[in-house]
Amino acid sequence: MIIKRHWLLGLAFVLTVAITGVSAMRTAQKAEYWRSHRDEPIHGWMTVGYIAHSYHVPPYVLYQALALPLQPPDKRPVSKIARAQKRSVDEVIGVLTNAIIHARPPNPPPPPEEGRAP
Amino acid sequence: MNVRDLVLAAISGGGYPMLFGVTAISAIGVPLPMTFVLIGAGSLIAQGEMNLWWVLILTSIGAVLGDQIGYGLARWGGRRLAYKLGRKYRIGEASLKKAEAVSRKWGGTGVFFSRWLITPLGPWLNITYGITEYPWRRFLVWSGLGEVLWVVLYVMLGKLFSDRVQALSETMGNLSWVILGLLASGVLGWTLWTYLHEKDPGGRRASHGSG
Repeated sequence: MIIKRHWLLGLAFVLTVAITGVSAMRTAQKAEYWRSHRDEPIHGWMTVGYIAHSYHVPPYVLYQALALPLQPPDKRPVSKIARAQKRSVDEVIGVLTNAIIHARPPNPPPPPEEGRAP
Repeated sequence: MNVRDLVLAAISGGGYPMLFGVTAISAIGVPLPMTFVLIGAGSLIAQGEMNLWWVLILTSIGAVLGDQIGYGLARWGGRRLAYKLGRKYRIGEASLKKAEAVSRKWGGTGVFFSRWLITPLGPWLNITYGITEYPWRRFLVWSGLGEVLWVVLYVMLGKLFSDRVQALSETMGNLSWVILGLLASGVLGWTLWTYLHEKDPGGRRASHGSG
Protein backbone atom coordinates (compact mmCIF):
# COMPACT_ATOMS: atom_id res chain seq x y z
CA MET A 1 0.00 0.00 0.00
CA ILE A 2 2.84 2.36 1.00
CA ILE A 3 4.77 1.49 -2.17
CA LYS A 4 1.64 2.09 -4.25
CA ARG A 5 1.17 5.56 -2.70
CA HIS A 6 4.84 6.30 -3.21
CA TRP A 7 4.63 5.44 -6.91
CA LEU A 8 1.39 7.34 -7.43
CA LEU A 9 2.90 10.43 -5.83
CA GLY A 10 6.05 10.08 -7.93
CA LEU A 11 4.03 9.59 -11.11
CA ALA A 12 1.85 12.61 -10.34
CA PHE A 13 4.98 14.69 -9.72
CA VAL A 14 6.67 13.60 -12.96
CA LEU A 15 3.50 14.18 -14.99
CA THR A 16 2.96 17.63 -13.47
CA VAL A 17 6.57 18.65 -14.14
CA ALA A 18 6.33 17.34 -17.73
CA ILE A 19 3.05 19.15 -18.46
CA THR A 20 4.38 22.33 -16.87
CA GLY A 21 7.59 22.08 -18.92
CA VAL A 22 5.66 21.64 -22.19
CA SER A 23 3.35 24.56 -21.30
CA ALA A 24 6.34 26.73 -20.43
CA MET A 25 7.98 25.90 -23.77
CA ARG A 26 4.78 26.68 -25.67
CA THR A 27 4.45 29.97 -23.81
CA ALA A 28 8.05 30.88 -24.64
CA GLN A 29 7.49 29.96 -28.32
CA LYS A 30 4.35 32.11 -28.45
CA ALA A 31 6.16 35.00 -26.82
CA GLU A 32 9.05 34.66 -29.28
CA TYR A 33 6.66 34.52 -32.25
CA TRP A 34 4.86 37.54 -30.88
CA ARG A 35 8.12 39.45 -30.49
CA SER A 36 9.33 38.76 -34.02
CA HIS A 37 6.05 39.08 -35.97
CA ARG A 38 4.31 42.41 -36.15
CA ASP A 39 1.14 40.99 -37.68
CA GLU A 40 -0.96 38.29 -36.09
CA PRO A 41 -2.88 35.94 -38.39
CA ILE A 42 -6.52 36.85 -39.10
CA HIS A 43 -8.99 34.62 -37.22
CA GLY A 44 -12.74 34.11 -37.42
CA TRP A 45 -13.44 35.93 -34.13
CA MET A 46 -11.88 39.20 -35.31
CA THR A 47 -14.03 42.12 -36.39
CA VAL A 48 -13.15 44.17 -39.46
CA GLY A 49 -12.47 47.16 -37.19
CA TYR A 50 -10.04 45.15 -35.10
CA ILE A 51 -8.24 43.76 -38.18
CA ALA A 52 -7.80 47.30 -39.52
CA HIS A 53 -6.51 48.40 -36.11
CA SER A 54 -4.18 45.41 -35.83
CA TYR A 55 -2.75 45.79 -39.35
CA HIS A 56 -2.62 49.59 -39.18
CA VAL A 57 -4.69 50.16 -42.31
CA PRO A 58 -7.71 52.47 -42.70
CA PRO A 59 -10.92 50.51 -41.88
CA TYR A 60 -12.76 51.70 -45.01
CA VAL A 61 -10.30 49.73 -47.18
CA LEU A 62 -11.45 46.48 -45.58
CA TYR A 63 -15.14 47.41 -45.53
CA GLN A 64 -14.91 48.21 -49.23
CA ALA A 65 -13.10 44.95 -49.99
CA LEU A 66 -15.97 43.02 -48.39
CA ALA A 67 -18.63 45.28 -49.97
CA LEU A 68 -19.83 46.38 -46.55
CA PRO A 69 -21.23 49.85 -45.82
CA LEU A 70 -18.77 52.23 -44.16
CA GLN A 71 -21.36 53.56 -41.73
CA PRO A 72 -22.40 52.35 -39.25
CA PRO A 73 -19.25 50.24 -38.72
CA ASP A 74 -19.98 46.52 -39.00
CA LYS A 75 -19.13 44.93 -35.64
CA ARG A 76 -19.70 41.31 -36.64
CA PRO A 77 -16.78 38.88 -36.46
CA VAL A 78 -15.32 37.61 -39.74
CA SER A 79 -16.97 34.20 -39.23
CA LYS A 80 -20.44 35.81 -39.14
CA ILE A 81 -19.73 38.03 -42.13
CA ALA A 82 -18.55 34.96 -44.07
CA ARG A 83 -21.76 33.12 -43.24
CA ALA A 84 -23.91 36.09 -44.21
CA GLN A 85 -22.06 36.41 -47.54
CA LYS A 86 -22.22 32.63 -48.11
CA ARG A 87 -18.43 32.38 -48.33
CA SER A 88 -15.94 30.36 -46.36
CA VAL A 89 -14.00 32.05 -43.55
CA ASP A 90 -10.76 31.35 -45.42
CA GLU A 91 -12.12 33.08 -48.52
CA VAL A 92 -13.04 36.20 -46.52
CA ILE A 93 -9.63 36.14 -44.82
CA GLY A 94 -8.05 35.93 -48.30
CA VAL A 95 -10.01 38.99 -49.49
CA LEU A 96 -8.99 40.93 -46.37
CA THR A 97 -5.33 39.91 -46.67
CA ASN A 98 -5.28 41.02 -50.30
CA ALA A 99 -6.84 44.36 -49.38
CA ILE A 100 -4.29 44.84 -46.58
CA ILE A 101 -1.37 44.12 -48.93
CA HIS A 102 -2.65 46.73 -51.38
CA ALA A 103 -3.37 49.27 -48.66
CA ARG A 104 0.10 49.20 -47.22
CA PRO A 105 3.10 51.03 -48.64
CA PRO A 106 4.20 51.10 -51.42
CA ASN A 107 0.52 50.95 -52.42
CA PRO A 108 -1.34 53.48 -50.28
CA PRO A 109 -4.99 53.61 -51.35
CA PRO A 110 -6.74 56.81 -52.42
CA PRO A 111 -8.94 58.40 -49.72
CA PRO A 112 -12.63 57.37 -49.76
CA GLU A 113 -15.03 59.53 -51.72
CA GLU A 114 -16.89 61.56 -49.14
CA GLY A 115 -20.35 60.33 -48.15
CA ARG A 116 -20.32 57.44 -50.59
CA ALA A 117 -20.70 53.86 -49.57
CA PRO A 118 -19.48 51.28 -52.04
CA MET B 1 -18.50 28.76 -34.03
CA ASN B 2 -16.42 28.21 -30.90
CA VAL B 3 -16.90 29.61 -27.38
CA ARG B 4 -14.56 32.53 -28.03
CA ASP B 5 -16.52 33.62 -31.13
CA LEU B 6 -19.79 33.30 -29.21
CA VAL B 7 -18.51 35.36 -26.27
CA LEU B 8 -17.13 38.02 -28.61
CA ALA B 9 -20.39 38.15 -30.58
CA ALA B 10 -22.33 38.45 -27.29
CA ILE B 11 -20.14 41.33 -26.08
CA SER B 12 -20.23 43.07 -29.49
CA GLY B 13 -24.01 42.85 -29.49
CA GLY B 14 -24.72 43.32 -25.80
CA GLY B 15 -22.06 45.89 -24.89
CA TYR B 16 -21.42 46.73 -21.24
CA PRO B 17 -24.28 44.69 -19.69
CA MET B 18 -23.07 41.61 -21.54
CA LEU B 19 -19.45 42.24 -20.48
CA PHE B 20 -20.66 42.50 -16.87
CA GLY B 21 -22.74 39.31 -17.17
CA VAL B 22 -19.98 37.28 -18.83
CA THR B 23 -17.48 38.30 -16.12
CA ALA B 24 -19.89 37.40 -13.30
CA ILE B 25 -20.82 34.02 -14.84
CA SER B 26 -17.16 33.19 -15.33
CA ALA B 27 -16.34 34.06 -11.70
CA ILE B 28 -19.06 31.67 -10.54
CA GLY B 29 -17.19 28.89 -12.31
CA VAL B 30 -18.43 28.61 -15.89
CA PRO B 31 -15.30 28.13 -18.03
CA LEU B 32 -15.27 31.16 -20.33
CA PRO B 33 -12.17 32.66 -22.05
CA MET B 34 -11.87 35.60 -19.65
CA THR B 35 -8.23 36.39 -20.45
CA PHE B 36 -9.32 36.94 -24.03
CA VAL B 37 -12.41 38.93 -22.99
CA LEU B 38 -10.49 41.36 -20.75
CA ILE B 39 -7.63 41.82 -23.20
CA GLY B 40 -10.21 42.22 -26.00
CA ALA B 41 -12.04 44.85 -23.93
CA GLY B 42 -8.72 46.67 -23.48
CA SER B 43 -8.26 46.65 -27.26
CA LEU B 44 -11.81 47.98 -27.78
CA ILE B 45 -10.95 50.83 -25.38
CA ALA B 46 -7.85 51.65 -27.45
CA GLN B 47 -10.00 51.63 -30.61
CA GLY B 48 -12.38 54.10 -28.97
CA GLU B 49 -15.30 51.68 -28.91
CA MET B 50 -15.52 51.30 -25.13
CA ASN B 51 -14.86 53.54 -22.15
CA LEU B 52 -11.97 52.62 -19.84
CA TRP B 53 -13.73 53.47 -16.57
CA TRP B 54 -16.97 51.71 -17.45
CA VAL B 55 -15.06 48.58 -18.41
CA LEU B 56 -12.93 48.62 -15.24
CA ILE B 57 -15.87 49.31 -12.90
CA LEU B 58 -18.35 46.87 -14.48
CA THR B 59 -15.96 43.97 -14.89
CA SER B 60 -14.61 44.42 -11.33
CA ILE B 61 -18.13 44.46 -9.87
CA GLY B 62 -19.13 41.51 -12.07
CA ALA B 63 -16.14 39.44 -10.98
CA VAL B 64 -16.60 40.20 -7.26
CA LEU B 65 -20.33 39.48 -7.51
CA GLY B 66 -19.66 36.16 -9.25
CA ASP B 67 -17.17 35.22 -6.53
CA GLN B 68 -19.74 35.94 -3.81
CA ILE B 69 -22.39 33.88 -5.63
CA GLY B 70 -19.98 30.92 -5.91
CA TYR B 71 -19.01 31.29 -2.25
CA GLY B 72 -22.65 31.71 -1.15
CA LEU B 73 -23.92 28.70 -3.10
CA ALA B 74 -21.18 26.55 -1.61
CA ARG B 75 -21.68 27.88 1.92
CA TRP B 76 -25.45 27.64 2.10
CA GLY B 77 -26.06 24.71 -0.20
CA GLY B 78 -22.80 22.93 -0.87
CA ARG B 79 -21.78 22.50 2.78
CA ARG B 80 -24.95 20.63 3.69
CA LEU B 81 -24.68 18.53 0.54
CA ALA B 82 -20.99 17.78 1.12
CA TYR B 83 -21.57 16.61 4.70
CA LYS B 84 -24.62 14.58 3.64
CA LEU B 85 -22.57 12.81 0.95
CA GLY B 86 -19.72 12.45 3.44
CA ARG B 87 -21.96 10.64 5.92
CA LYS B 88 -23.43 8.46 3.21
CA TYR B 89 -20.13 7.33 1.72
CA ARG B 90 -18.01 7.75 4.87
CA ILE B 91 -15.26 9.50 2.99
CA GLY B 92 -16.13 13.17 2.92
CA GLU B 93 -15.75 14.14 6.60
CA ALA B 94 -11.96 13.82 6.76
CA SER B 95 -11.54 15.57 3.41
CA LEU B 96 -13.76 18.42 4.55
CA LYS B 97 -11.77 18.82 7.76
CA LYS B 98 -8.60 18.88 5.66
CA ALA B 99 -10.12 21.46 3.29
CA GLU B 100 -11.10 23.56 6.31
CA ALA B 101 -7.53 23.41 7.59
CA VAL B 102 -6.21 24.43 4.15
CA SER B 103 -8.58 27.40 3.84
CA ARG B 104 -7.71 28.56 7.40
CA LYS B 105 -4.00 28.19 6.65
CA TRP B 106 -3.96 30.02 3.32
CA GLY B 107 -6.77 32.42 4.23
CA GLY B 108 -6.90 35.69 2.35
CA THR B 109 -3.57 35.12 0.59
CA GLY B 110 -5.03 32.15 -1.28
CA VAL B 111 -8.11 34.13 -2.34
CA PHE B 112 -6.02 37.15 -3.40
CA PHE B 113 -3.50 35.28 -5.56
CA SER B 114 -6.09 32.98 -7.14
CA ARG B 115 -7.95 36.05 -8.48
CA TRP B 116 -5.17 37.39 -10.70
CA LEU B 117 -2.07 35.18 -10.68
CA ILE B 118 -3.34 31.57 -10.59
CA THR B 119 -6.74 32.30 -12.09
CA PRO B 120 -7.72 28.67 -12.93
CA LEU B 121 -7.96 28.04 -9.17
CA GLY B 122 -10.36 30.94 -8.48
CA PRO B 123 -13.78 29.26 -8.78
CA TRP B 124 -12.54 26.17 -6.92
CA LEU B 125 -11.34 28.24 -4.00
CA ASN B 126 -14.70 30.07 -3.87
CA ILE B 127 -16.38 26.70 -3.38
CA THR B 128 -13.79 25.45 -0.87
CA TYR B 129 -13.94 28.64 1.19
CA GLY B 130 -17.75 28.60 1.08
CA ILE B 131 -18.03 24.98 2.18
CA THR B 132 -15.53 25.50 4.99
CA GLU B 133 -17.32 28.70 6.14
CA TYR B 134 -14.37 31.02 5.79
CA PRO B 135 -15.47 34.43 7.21
CA TRP B 136 -17.44 36.14 4.45
CA ARG B 137 -16.29 39.72 5.08
CA ARG B 138 -12.65 38.70 4.88
CA PHE B 139 -13.39 36.71 1.71
CA LEU B 140 -15.14 39.76 0.21
CA VAL B 141 -12.20 42.09 0.93
CA TRP B 142 -9.55 39.72 -0.46
CA SER B 143 -11.57 38.73 -3.50
CA GLY B 144 -12.32 42.42 -4.17
CA LEU B 145 -8.64 43.38 -4.02
CA GLY B 146 -7.59 40.45 -6.20
CA GLU B 147 -10.32 40.94 -8.81
CA VAL B 148 -9.64 44.66 -9.19
CA LEU B 149 -5.95 43.93 -9.71
CA TRP B 150 -6.82 41.20 -12.25
CA VAL B 151 -9.17 43.43 -14.21
CA VAL B 152 -6.81 46.44 -14.23
CA LEU B 153 -3.82 44.28 -15.21
CA TYR B 154 -5.46 42.47 -18.12
CA VAL B 155 -7.51 45.39 -19.46
CA MET B 156 -4.48 47.70 -19.40
CA LEU B 157 -2.35 45.05 -21.11
CA GLY B 158 -5.05 44.76 -23.77
CA LYS B 159 -5.14 48.54 -24.14
CA LEU B 160 -1.36 48.75 -24.38
CA PHE B 161 -1.00 45.91 -26.92
CA SER B 162 -4.37 46.57 -28.56
CA ASP B 163 -3.26 45.33 -31.99
CA ARG B 164 -2.18 41.89 -30.75
CA VAL B 165 -5.14 40.53 -28.80
CA GLN B 166 -4.81 36.96 -30.05
CA ALA B 167 -1.10 36.60 -29.32
CA LEU B 168 -1.32 38.32 -25.93
CA SER B 169 -4.37 36.28 -24.83
CA GLU B 170 -2.67 33.02 -25.73
CA THR B 171 0.56 33.99 -23.99
CA MET B 172 -1.19 35.16 -20.81
CA GLY B 173 -3.54 32.16 -20.80
CA ASN B 174 -0.61 29.77 -21.09
CA LEU B 175 1.35 31.69 -18.49
CA SER B 176 -1.29 31.28 -15.79
CA TRP B 177 -1.33 27.51 -16.43
CA VAL B 178 2.47 27.44 -16.20
CA ILE B 179 2.32 29.25 -12.84
CA LEU B 180 -0.33 26.78 -11.62
CA GLY B 181 1.85 23.89 -12.87
CA LEU B 182 4.91 25.24 -11.07
CA LEU B 183 2.89 25.59 -7.88
CA ALA B 184 1.50 22.06 -8.21
CA SER B 185 4.99 20.68 -8.97
CA GLY B 186 6.33 22.43 -5.87
CA VAL B 187 3.59 21.05 -3.62
CA LEU B 188 3.87 17.52 -5.04
CA GLY B 189 7.67 17.61 -4.93
CA TRP B 190 7.63 18.77 -1.32
CA THR B 191 5.06 16.11 -0.35
CA LEU B 192 7.14 13.41 -2.04
CA TRP B 193 10.33 14.66 -0.35
CA THR B 194 8.82 14.73 3.16
CA TYR B 195 7.10 11.39 2.53
CA LEU B 196 10.37 9.69 1.51
CA HIS B 197 12.26 11.21 4.44
CA GLU B 198 9.60 10.25 6.96
CA LYS B 199 9.23 6.76 5.55
CA ASP B 200 12.87 5.80 6.04
CA PRO B 201 13.29 6.19 9.85
CA GLY B 202 9.77 4.80 10.41
CA GLY B 203 10.61 1.75 8.33
CA ARG B 204 13.78 1.17 10.33
CA ARG B 205 11.92 1.53 13.60
CA ALA B 206 9.35 -0.94 12.39
CA SER B 207 12.03 -3.51 11.48
CA HIS B 208 13.84 -3.00 14.83
CA GLY B 209 10.59 -3.44 16.68
CA SER B 210 9.75 -6.68 14.96
CA GLY B 211 13.30 -8.05 15.31
